[in-house]
Amino acid sequence: MCYAVMSFSGEKRQFLSQVLDEVFDGLYGYAMVLSRDRTEAEDLVQETCFRAVKAIESLEPGSNAKSWLFTILRNIWLNQVRQRRAAPKIVELDVDENTLGMAVEASKDPHALYVSKVERDQVREAIQQLPDEFREIIVLREYEELSYQEIAALLDCPAGTVMSRLGRARSKLRSLLSSTLGPTDRRTKGVLE
Amino acid sequence: MNYCGERSTDILLFLDNALTGQKLEDFRAHLADCSICRERLQEEQALSSLLHKTRPLYLAPQALRARVAAAATQQASAGSPVSDRSGETGAQRLLRWWREVTRPVFAWKPLVAMTLVLTLSSVFIPGAVQRVRANNFVEAATEIHQRYLGGNLPLQCRSRSPEAVTDWFAGKTPFDFQLPLSQPVPAGKARYWLTGARLVSYKGNPAALVAYETPTEKISLLVASSKSVAVAGGQELRSGGLTFHYRSGANFEVITWTNHGLAYALVASLTGSPQHSCLVCHQNMADQNLVEH
Repeated sequence: MCYAVMSFSGEKRQFLSQVLDEVFDGLYGYAMVLSRDRTEAEDLVQETCFRAVKAIESLEPGSNAKSWLFTILRNIWLNQVRQRRAAPKIVELDVDENTLGMAVEASKDPHALYVSKVERDQVREAIQQLPDEFREIIVLREYEELSYQEIAALLDCPAGTVMSRLGRARSKLRSLLSSTLGPTDRRTKGVLE
Repeated sequence: MNYCGERSTDILLFLDNALTGQKLEDFRAHLADCSICRERLQEEQALSSLLHKTRPLYLAPQALRARVAAAATQQASAGSPVSDRSGETGAQRLLRWWREVTRPVFAWKPLVAMTLVLTLSSVFIPGAVQRVRANNFVEAATEIHQRYLGGNLPLQCRSRSPEAVTDWFAGKTPFDFQLPLSQPVPAGKARYWLTGARLVSYKGNPAALVAYETPTEKISLLVASSKSVAVAGGQELRSGGLTFHYRSGANFEVITWTNHGLAYALVASLTGSPQHSCLVCHQNMADQNLVEH
């Protein structure tokens, strides 16, 4: 005999818990990219969690909870921006995440760890220099791996716009990271040949 | 140059393994003749490689997790008074308690906060953590298998019947998923048997976890929509029109494949050949010839 452990509603909550845990860093990263401010990013993530829990019953079975959460976060951010009636401030990124690499890549040797951290810092800095619409599309596609359709729904624009915007964002990012990409680029020469 | 400019989208799709059929062949043919597009593709690959190396771009501060965890832990010890101040209403007490464990910015929403605590408690309380961070399908399948072995992913559906498990999944996943109907196996002849299933999350979408057992080990099958999965690499085995990708690590062997819009990852302990794992699904199926390669 087959049985479900939890009620339908309970399953939803359990599933949301699982998804929240899985995408917690991603939500925070997206919030950081949107707000460029650690405190605001934390607030955005918390508020997103609140609203997700509150609206859990509206989440249809089989729907994409990850996209749903990112949409909630983005809507909160847009509302905040509208309320302020001012452009988001640009602040110095002083994120105390020296342990980030350590936590993720503890198995790497110290040199690799250092190189990895340097690269991450360079990428972060470059991404933060991108225009708003480029920043978020890079994060949603390259880091969160949302599909073009999912991003289109999130940004409320056609999938074709997503692709062209992503192409331009990558082009700009390549330019900003040219010094970092130089050696990498050379290493990849011959991949297709 | 204009012609190459129109290939920008193709380059992105190629990077995503999303170019197929004639479009893929056309693009490859163009690449062979166009040094500009080859160079552009290499640049895009280098950028993708760099971005992927820097995942995750940010980690949520431990303090943020800790605040929620602390709230969850306090809530878990239900019944313990949050405050001994007299004269407070429950909402006031809860509000003040929430302010103590979080920043005040959201403390005006105590009821919502309470709901959050109730939900997130299952995330952060030890033993209930079902954390799947891996983006890679193989890594995700292996991690999920390990959590299943560790008892952190208990089966939500227990059945030896493929039909019952198929019924249980109905409406729970964003894709139609049906286990092959089983053929009768003489008593004592079964080498593997279905034990049940549960839902898991992969990249934010519901995915199906199907569990099997042998007399000595547990085996799991992760099934997700192939839209969010890149199945490639490893030792390739072709059979029945499908391509299977076999990898073995320190403790597990994993076989991945896609079929009809679904991606599959079968994880088992490292005991034998790829065929050994394939037979998990097909030992008693009508399509056993598919794996007799």
